[in-house]
Amino acid sequence: MSELSHESPLAGVTPPPGLSVSLREITDRGMIDLRGHGSDQAFLSAVKGALGLDLPLRPRTSAGSDDLRVLWLSMDQWLILCPRTKAAEILAALRSALTGVHSLAVDVSDMRAVIRIEGGGCREVLMKGTSLDLLDAEYRPGCCRRMRFAEIAALLSVVEDNVFDVYVFRSYARYAWDFVCATAREPARVRLFGAQDAPA
Amino acid sequence: MLVVKCPVCGAEGDETDFHAGGQAHVRRPASHDPAHVSDEEQRDYLFIRINPKGLHFERWRCDRGCGKWFHAARDTVTLEFKAFYGITELPPADVIAEAKGQWAEYFAKRLKAEKQA
Repeated sequence: MSELSHESPLAGVTPPPGLSVSLREITDRGMIDLRGHGSDQAFLSAVKGALGLDLPLRPRTSAGSDDLRVLWLSMDQWLILCPRTKAAEILAALRSALTGVHSLAVDVSDMRAVIRIEGGGCREVLMKGTSLDLLDAEYRPGCCRRMRFAEIAALLSVVEDNVFDVYVFRSYARYAWDFVCATAREPARVRLFGAQDAPA
Repeated sequence: MLVVKCPVCGAEGDETDFHAGGQAHVRRPASHDPAHVSDEEQRDYLFIRINPKGLHFERWRCDRGCGKWFHAARDTVTLEFKAFYGITELPPADVIAEAKGQWAEYFAKRLKAEKQA
């Protein structure tokens, strides 16, 4: 009999020296994909009963705490973040609360890889791969949105001012990681955007 | 470079964050009366498109946002977007009034049919 074991998509990969931001993979994150109508009161109250928090209904926002966080993905789709060990338990609670309500909840913990980028210049580094203006006030902590990053689909979550999580589909993990490693090298630091010192 | 704004989630961005889905308001004849679809109707549905110089109506998808389809009215000469509106909606009345040629005919027919219904 073969044994099922979890291996993270970026296992054994370490960031090269000389990066302007710090980079690591988050491996212990459980993710649940939740779909249902945001205008359906029965759906909203059932989810609140199971999770103990209101779903974020405003576009590109999230709700919750570090342990249990819900990201808005669309008008009818949310991504629930929790510790990997808790995912099965939360999924079961959700499914039993949502019995009879038109909805869908699936454990997608292994669907995406999570890359955490931290440091002063991380917005500028990410902006090399996307057309979004990440210096805009909209991208404050708690904001999340899907984006086109280095030509692939990604999900961006602003954790703190200088801490970003980038979610990419598992098969793209190595590509996204290598892209960030290449663009985050210290000599490649961008000083074009935002507040700058006056030239001497 | 086109700047597109999704009317569903309000995301505004570069055209590469969106996906152009061709001409808007194309109706599949078989959806309404499958038993009586003429070859001409099916041909028009599959292949015949309006290709105006000026105001045009298109489908777009908020590809890197909420993932929803929506409609846009765009001028093919100036590339200016005149309106973004929902996938089940008709354009705002003032934009319909600007439509010319085949689009003007289409909307006149469509509005008349909706009034009768």
